[in-house]
Amino acid sequence: MVKFLKPGKAVLLLQGRYAGRKAVIVRNFDDGTRDRPYGHCLVAGIKKYPSKVIRKDNTKKTAKKSRVKAFVKVVNYRHLMPTRYTLDVDLKDVVTVDTLQSKDKKVTASKETKKRLEERFKTGKNRWFFTKLRF
Amino acid sequence: MVAAKKTKKTHESINNRLALVMKSGKYTLGYKTMLKTIRNSKAKLVIISNNCPPLRKSEIEYYAMLAKVGVHHYNGNNVDLGTACGKYYRVCCLSIIDPGDSDIIKSMPGDH
Repeated sequence: MVKFLKPGKAVLLLQGRYAGRKAVIVRNFDDGTRDRPYGHCLVAGIKKYPSKVIRKDNTKKTAKKSRVKAFVKVVNYRHLMPTRYTLDVDLKDVVTVDTLQSKDKKVTASKETKKRLEERFKTGKNRWFFTKLRF
Repeated sequence: MVAAKKTKKTHESINNRLALVMKSGKYTLGYKTMLKTIRNSKAKLVIISNNCPPLRKSEIEYYAMLAKVGVHHYNGNNVDLGTACGKYYRVCCLSIIDPGDSDIIKSMPGDH
């Protein structure tokens, strides 16, 4: 009775190339659009999780290990598993519907989300989101 | 012994309430449509049969927890739940969108 698929909700992708990856909802389309007559949403997720950093690593190595590779995708609600976690990063201006129209726009959007996700990872918050789901 | 007797009585009442919902309310039967109603926050109560696979049961409970929807574990398997709904097929899980004249929403969600 409470709407829970809202922007900022952390979800797991269940199908597709990014199955098993964690993502955050950026924008919902609950009633669908003309092209997609089903409930779907724009998500920004992690393509490659940051590796585990150990005390022995020098700064160059930690920088290399803390890299996050991101993706942007439109996903049907059926292919998501919502979680109780949220991730409040502001991606609304970066990830929009028209960024997915062309490849280079998508690449720039992914790069920008990568930057924002990396800085969020480095603060040490939302640790669940940046750990790989083991299955 | 006492517990068995009490469950029989409440079991009858659930069946009666369900029958009233089937007659006067809105509902949806089946896993796919039920998840749909939970996602768009139309579901008011979710009923799961007792032979629902445990992974699916956990998944439905998790969705219901996120949406703050009550879950009722029906005391019977999918065959019994289908019969209670007045259908000639098995129903593993169902969601009640609008209870109509029934008071199933008010009386059931105390039950887990």
